[in-house]
Amino acid sequence: MGVFKAIINGMGTTVRKPRLLVILYVVNLVFAVFVALPLLVLVQSELGASIWGSSVRPVDLMWLGEAVLKYQESLPALLAAAVAGGVLYLVLHIFLNGGIVGRLLDREGPARLAAFAGDCGRYFWRFVRLFLMSLLFYVLTLGVFMQLVSALFRPLDENAATEWLPLILSNVHFLIALLLLSIVHMIIDYTRIAVVADEEKKVLRALRHALTFLRKRFFRAWAIYLVIVALTLAGSVIFHAVLGRLGAAGLAPVVVGLVWMQFYIIFRIWIRTLFVAAQAEFYRAHPY
Amino acid sequence: MKNRIVPACLLLAAAIALAPADSIAGQEAALPAAGAPGLRYEIWVELDAAGKMLHGKEEIVWTNPTQDVVPDMLLHLYWNAFKNEASAYMREAAAESQGVRGPAPDDGEWGWVDLTDVRLADGSDLKPTLEYVTPDGPGTAGDQTVARVLFPVPVRPGESVRLRIEFRSKIPRTVARSGYYRDSFFIGQWYPKPGVYEEGRGWNCHAYHLNSEFFADFADYVVHITVPRGFTVGSSGKAAETRTDESAGTTTITYRQAMVHDFAWMADPRYLKIERDFIAAKEVTPRESQETADLLGLSLDEVRLPDVKMTLLIAPEHKGQIERHFQALRAAIKYYGLWYGPYPYETVTMVDPPFRTGSGGMEYPTLFTAGTNVLTSKDQLSPEMVIVHEFGHGYWYGLVASNEFEAAWLDEGFNTYSTTRVLAKAYGPGALPLNFKGFPVDWFLRLPKVFDFETNRVAAINTVRFDPVTAWSWGFFNRMSYAANVYMRAATLLSTLENFLGEPAWSRIMRTYHMRYRFRHPAKADFIAVVNEVSGRDMTWFFDELLDGTEAFDYGVGGLSSVKVPGHLRGVFDTNGAREEWTGKRIEEAEAAEGDAPTPPDLFRTTVLVRRYGEARLGGDARVEVLVRFKDGTTETRTWDGRARWTRFEFVKPVEAESAKIDPRSVWLIDENLANNSRETARVRRNVVKLASQLVFAVQLVLHFFGSWS
Repeated sequence: MGVFKAIINGMGTTVRKPRLLVILYVVNLVFAVFVALPLLVLVQSELGASIWGSSVRPVDLMWLGEAVLKYQESLPALLAAAVAGGVLYLVLHIFLNGGIVGRLLDREGPARLAAFAGDCGRYFWRFVRLFLMSLLFYVLTLGVFMQLVSALFRPLDENAATEWLPLILSNVHFLIALLLLSIVHMIIDYTRIAVVADEEKKVLRALRHALTFLRKRFFRAWAIYLVIVALTLAGSVIFHAVLGRLGAAGLAPVVVGLVWMQFYIIFRIWIRTLFVAAQAEFYRAHPY
Repeated sequence: MKNRIVPACLLLAAAIALAPADSIAGQEAALPAAGAPGLRYEIWVELDAAGKMLHGKEEIVWTNPTQDVVPDMLLHLYWNAFKNEASAYMREAAAESQGVRGPAPDDGEWGWVDLTDVRLADGSDLKPTLEYVTPDGPGTAGDQTVARVLFPVPVRPGESVRLRIEFRSKIPRTVARSGYYRDSFFIGQWYPKPGVYEEGRGWNCHAYHLNSEFFADFADYVVHITVPRGFTVGSSGKAAETRTDESAGTTTITYRQAMVHDFAWMADPRYLKIERDFIAAKEVTPRESQETADLLGLSLDEVRLPDVKMTLLIAPEHKGQIERHFQALRAAIKYYGLWYGPYPYETVTMVDPPFRTGSGGMEYPTLFTAGTNVLTSKDQLSPEMVIVHEFGHGYWYGLVASNEFEAAWLDEGFNTYSTTRVLAKAYGPGALPLNFKGFPVDWFLRLPKVFDFETNRVAAINTVRFDPVTAWSWGFFNRMSYAANVYMRAATLLSTLENFLGEPAWSRIMRTYHMRYRFRHPAKADFIAVVNEVSGRDMTWFFDELLDGTEAFDYGVGGLSSVKVPGHLRGVFDTNGAREEWTGKRIEEAEAAEGDAPTPPDLFRTTVLVRRYGEARLGGDARVEVLVRFKDGTTETRTWDGRARWTRFEFVKPVEAESAKIDPRSVWLIDENLANNSRETARVRRNVVKLASQLVFAVQLVLHFFGSWS
């Protein structure tokens, strides 16, 4: 299967299963409102009765400075709560991954909530083990391999005659890190798919399936991944361009902006499902 | 004595330089004709580019300007700050970094200065008397940045002493402000230099501290700089002569400059040197001159600016930014000149700091270092900000030469305030200066544009509890407190004072202060005296409360209510000798009985509670202004002296209040909570909704990011 065929088929699968998108969006929104609630209360209590509330800008340094001063004692607690919220969401997403992969691999069947929840539960512990394994890969990639790259670049950087060389090296370093991360991410994605598609109970065995699969068609698989990344970037550029052109005066631009931002979140969630769907198509086209 | 001279013109020169001006009228741009009254340097220095050394000798002629008999001289040997980890600088840096490695150089890259010979002009050898001293107390023991030599015969009032010093210095590998990288050199604070002698107090000669800059007397300099042939050289002063020694392969350039208190230079074989002229007639329109003259109450002649020769030394990789550098410098020369007084020197040299010499963003008389990157955004106002700021130090430090060790706010605060004004005038707000991997973030994302006074205020309100603005430089809680207080809090306080006194008075205050203390060393009291004198108001409280104090300034509206005044009050009343009770039911019946009869309009009692939340208080004739707006568009204004903790204002009107606001003219920029300065009765919160939706959106994105790693 070609790169674009896998992506187009993946798109078709995601379009046929809009409920998946709805579930993920609702979870994201509810969780976000829950996490943001303390901050929303803070904004309302500080600006809700003030004339400043009518003119404050989204990133208003004057007001942010005041808020930091007033709530600096609470900042560690807020930060800890935010991190805890993030970790909780991560665990929740590990849970949801079972449903996402399970329903997307069931190409024709509808994404019913019961089936979705069943898949979530069925694959949860396997995906937890896979997540822990992925941490090891990330540490090896960023902590070891990238340190080696840094050590390789350091003598060049230290003797640079102008700022161009450090700038280039720094960006090359960053690009290498991103590409490596994309590979690790892709391997984990295919392992997840292998767990479900091959009904593999052993995660290590599923990882071996994925690696064997990728060894034979690595560049096509990576191309699928990178094309979807490019799609994400293109969507993000369009999102920011449109957002920047929305006027500031009146209630209508505020509402349009709000809706536009939610569209973008839906787009990002859809992209996430597209990754799985396209890779699943590709995996299924070349059975292990 | 042979080694002492009493110049005939000394008294005249001192009179010119030291006499305070009675008014801002009559000041000229030119330097005092007699030059510096009490100090002259002639320095010969050779750069050993391969060995990273300087070999120098200097002749210092110092005249005792006081009535004291002076037995010794204290000399700054600043580069010994980079000699070892026992220096005050390195110890303070280590304490600041809390175990993380600070700015200490690697092995073999330390810098130092040795005095190899110290004599009087008659040949008397002072070297045996040389000792390192620690004028800043036992906390700086081991520091070698201040040395003392004893004169064989004390110097009497008005007498002069001529010292001949030979020195050799190891150039540090980039620690702070000076250093080398490959074959680029920036050379600042490099020569042995006397402190400032203060009558009755002795030598003011502090160690080189981490959080401090410098202090020195005005002097006339002649400096002969020898560098390997082919090097581009930039220096304080004006190049007078260039000689090439073919056999030695060197070039020697002689620079001269009168009435400056420091001298710095750089050398680099790759640098481009570009010259432009600031032609005042082209830069300043007749209308601008007239408006400035009217504002300051001066004649057109008095605000006329001189032409200035501008020189830029820039790295080849920044060649595309040459005009951008000059444009910023032109704006700075123009506005500092119009507002504070004409730039008095013939030249100004702007140096794009050599890569990795740690020399960016630093001021020296008639020379300053800017700082830019190969990738820049036109909206971020960088390098503009640093160019305007460092040129501005030519006014606040260069000309009005306050003691940066003891009162850093007098130059950094004044100059940050001035930079903010020039940038706002010449450029407007700039995008937040955020970069990622060398790329300006606003290339990719629309960043909010802010004025510098906004960022200054954020730092100001968050730093007040650490230190007073007026602390000595090394006495601050930490480096952040030093920077935020002396730069940003001081600037915010000056902006506040400007708002309070109004532009006409404020402009005259700043002009008077600058011109009166040009070529002098004013202290806080001198500025307060000028403020009080020119404004005609006693503003001493402002400085006591907000600069010397560490307490928060916060006034706010504590409450706003508008309630209908009842036609009848409930309760028991004595009426015409009879006692009767008005119950709720009776009131209802009475109101029903009035029926359709014409009744006076409903009255509303509006109550505004104004509170002083902070400990800092207003003083003098300053008042909290309270503006109450009613729903029919009418307004009422009240004032309060703000001394107590709270006050209450009541209004009974046939209309409800819409809002109450204190400080409606936005005078008190230093108020740490502007959100509580107003209250509305209605709740139209379009922007709060927008803010909240963006907040939720940001959290959604972060969560999505977290989820993508699952």
